[in-house]
Amino acid sequence: MMSTIGGAIWRQPMMIIAAKELKDSLRNRWVAVIFGLFFLLAFSVTFAGSAVSGTLAFPSLVSVIASLSTIAVAIIPLAAILLCYDAFVGEEESGTMLLLLSYPLTKMDIFLGKLLAHSGIMLAAIVSSFTLSATILLCFGQGYQWQQTLWVFGQFIASSGLLALTFILLSYVVSLRATEKAKAVGTLLSLWFALVLIYDLLLLALLVADLGHRVQWLVQLLMALNPTDIYRAINQLATHAPMGSLPLLSQFQGGALWLYGLMLLWVALLAWLTLRTFMRKAI
Amino acid sequence: MSVNNLAVQLEGVGHQFAELRALNQINLSLPRGMTMALLGHNGAGKSTLIKVILGLLTPDSGRVDVLGQRLTSGKKPSNVGYLPENIHFYDKLTGAEILRYFAALKGESHQRVAQLIEEFGLGYAQHKLVKGYSKGMKQRLGFAQAILASPQLLLLDEPTVGLDPQASSFLYQKVAQLKRQGCAVIICTHELNLVESQLDVAMMLGRGQCLAYGTFAELAKASPLQVKIALDGLAALLVTHPYLQAFYRQGALHCAQSEQPALVRYLTTKCQRFDFTLHLPGLAEIYHHNMAQMQHCSEQGLGFVTEPVLQPMGV
Repeated sequence: MMSTIGGAIWRQPMMIIAAKELKDSLRNRWVAVIFGLFFLLAFSVTFAGSAVSGTLAFPSLVSVIASLSTIAVAIIPLAAILLCYDAFVGEEESGTMLLLLSYPLTKMDIFLGKLLAHSGIMLAAIVSSFTLSATILLCFGQGYQWQQTLWVFGQFIASSGLLALTFILLSYVVSLRATEKAKAVGTLLSLWFALVLIYDLLLLALLVADLGHRVQWLVQLLMALNPTDIYRAINQLATHAPMGSLPLLSQFQGGALWLYGLMLLWVALLAWLTLRTFMRKAI
Repeated sequence: MSVNNLAVQLEGVGHQFAELRALNQINLSLPRGMTMALLGHNGAGKSTLIKVILGLLTPDSGRVDVLGQRLTSGKKPSNVGYLPENIHFYDKLTGAEILRYFAALKGESHQRVAQLIEEFGLGYAQHKLVKGYSKGMKQRLGFAQAILASPQLLLLDEPTVGLDPQASSFLYQKVAQLKRQGCAVIICTHELNLVESQLDVAMMLGRGQCLAYGTFAELAKASPLQVKIALDGLAALLVTHPYLQAFYRQGALHCAQSEQPALVRYLTTKCQRFDFTLHLPGLAEIYHHNMAQMQHCSEQGLGFVTEPVLQPMGV
């Protein structure tokens, strides 16, 4: 009975599409590149994170998370973009989207199949690399509390997963609206540059200019509009160590739950936008 | 003809894209087991019509029945195979993997895939990545994909573009085989000579309208184009038979199709000549004539031919 149900699930169009996407990504070596990047990030920060302070020891938990999130906030969106930019426009360019739609499946099947494969790849890379990082600290480091380490890394992995999902969906929206692959990747890299690098610089300029803290609410609002800022805020809250150039990040009213809610809102909004664009798109 | 014997029945199908009337009052009755060429200039509405038949586009007006099923908004017909124009399959998958992927989506077995790989002569390349396939191999793979589920209706969009004559001939052999099995085939193409020798009927579209529809003989008969009769020693005959002079032009006799029987009778009875060659207007001539007529009507602001040269017949 169970094997029949299992077999039936694997025969669902969504699962068939997901399996094909996974195979395609494996052959394109995107999976290898993403896993390689994430493991390199985890190893280098865990083993050599304190080298900048002149010592060669395992860094403190706060430092590890701060370093990991500082780099991951750039790497995760970039990996998601490179994995997904051609998800829809690529199929359109090659003519396979038209063919797929002539088959007995729905646009929802195509969307869910792709999402399952792409989010699966990103989540597997995030969970495996950062779990390894936590394991190394707990097994070989000194002074790390199990409970606190697991909690902080758990939050880091959960927020990283949500950030990946956000950029996968953002890539889908752009891929659906683009007329060719080159335009999709160009637009997405511009968005990545703006959201990850430029946005915070502009906010910092606003904060520095606002000596009387009169527009603090505005800064918080603008931060809530950028998923990468929410991601940073979640991880600073998890370590109870606001740091870096924007301490306001961790001062959101309502704490972590509120921030997770905002991230989920981004995911839901982008999923809705993807589906709406896909459903309305003329074939 | 019974509706159940029709693979495709369209009645008054129309569709508008913003400012463009892509399809206008299209009627079509294509029986099962018939092969049809869908002809027309670029932008004539051929691809739009194919999308309507596939259920990918709901027309603004009219009725669409495919294999006895009424297509309403969002409903796709079952048992239909399709090969889009100029398709590039997934470069990083092998031929066998691609067929297995599409077979899985149609609920077909791996056995069927193996059978088709063998049938289409792709066995030696089945484990090679598709990016290394030639154009002909890709088209064979695409064709195999289209008939995975033994369709009752097959739609092929420009299947022979860029193929060598041998590869084209192979595809048309497969079409003939499917026809014998009762499958109706619609081929969108610009290769008029190939179509005339291989398919049963043709529909000519021009700016979203059906300009002509029928068998090639019927299209020729209904065409205003003249019949040409060529024979040796015509000059000598003209001297002794002044009746023929009225038809003489550029070294041959030219007459309207309605005048052809009388002229042939005259040649055989009065002139005792049986060695003449009769040239009926070919599909290419009819096509170019129709397109020119449409262009002329458009320039004169007369609108286009509102009724096809021939109404769909029970072939």
